[in-house]
Amino acid sequence: MLKCRQLVALSSDYLDAQLSLRQRLAVRAHLAMCWKCRRFVRQLQLTQAVLRQMPEAPIDDLDERARALAAAHRDSQG
Amino acid sequence: MSDQQLLRRLLAGEDAAYRELVQRYQGAMRAVAFAIVGSRHAEEVVQDAWLAVVRSLAGFEQRASLKTWLLSITANLARTRLKHNRREVLLDDLPGPHGSVDEARFDAGDHWRQPPTAWHDDSPEALLAEDELRQCLERTLVSLSELQSSVLLLRERQMLELDEIAGLLEISQANVRVLLHRARLKVFATLEHFEETGQC
Ligand SMILES: [Zn+2]
Repeated sequence: MLKCRQLVALSSDYLDAQLSLRQRLAVRAHLAMCWKCRRFVRQLQLTQAVLRQMPEAPIDDLDERARALAAAHRDSQG
Repeated sequence: MSDQQLLRRLLAGEDAAYRELVQRYQGAMRAVAFAIVGSRHAEEVVQDAWLAVVRSLAGFEQRASLKTWLLSITANLARTRLKHNRREVLLDDLPGPHGSVDEARFDAGDHWRQPPTAWHDDSPEALLAEDELRQCLERTLVSLSELQSSVLLLRERQMLELDEIAGLLEISQANVRVLLHRARLKVFATLEHFEETGQC
């Protein structure tokens, strides 16, 4: 039987679908019986979702950079 | 707008298309550069990469996605800059501001000694609505090693596959998985701490 600590160690690979079939079944069996690890995995998924939705820092010189790149492209076409 | 449409407008030299290009992809390029050369030279690598990109746009053959192409140009330039003093893959783990989910949380039988507490907010929107929490998360991301934070951002924000990250950064997929796991646990610990105490 998988212990909670091992489940935590496998949790990222579980979310990224990197486990073997056997490991995956062991994780599922443990989760079916352990609310603590269920909560952990649910909140780890929420952590992922938060990271996905965190706003990216705006690019300060966006317009300037775009203009410079467009100009560089035109130059390279000579 | 698809890659193809964007490419057409780029080749026509439309400023707005270049704006779209930079907005869409610079974040990912930065993360790749950051992982390979570190914060000091990342911006220079990104600038060089953009120049290389616009000069070779006409020759882009669309065998890969635009993003994959941009990121491989960035990674190659970053590696050229590193030349021979290539850094070791640093797996060492800097302490997070709110710790991690480490052995102290488990008892001798490997069961939870200190189980995760339930968070009040159960959607990313609700969590991110709090300014202080957002800043707190930023602080945690900054505390990660350059490689660890880059891998995390490339995976979660840029949604790259693990093998793609491993290829770009020239590290093993096993190392990518280790870096990712440790980074996630530290961000988890920050969220847990904030949900528990209401402060950073
Ligand atoms: Zn458990």
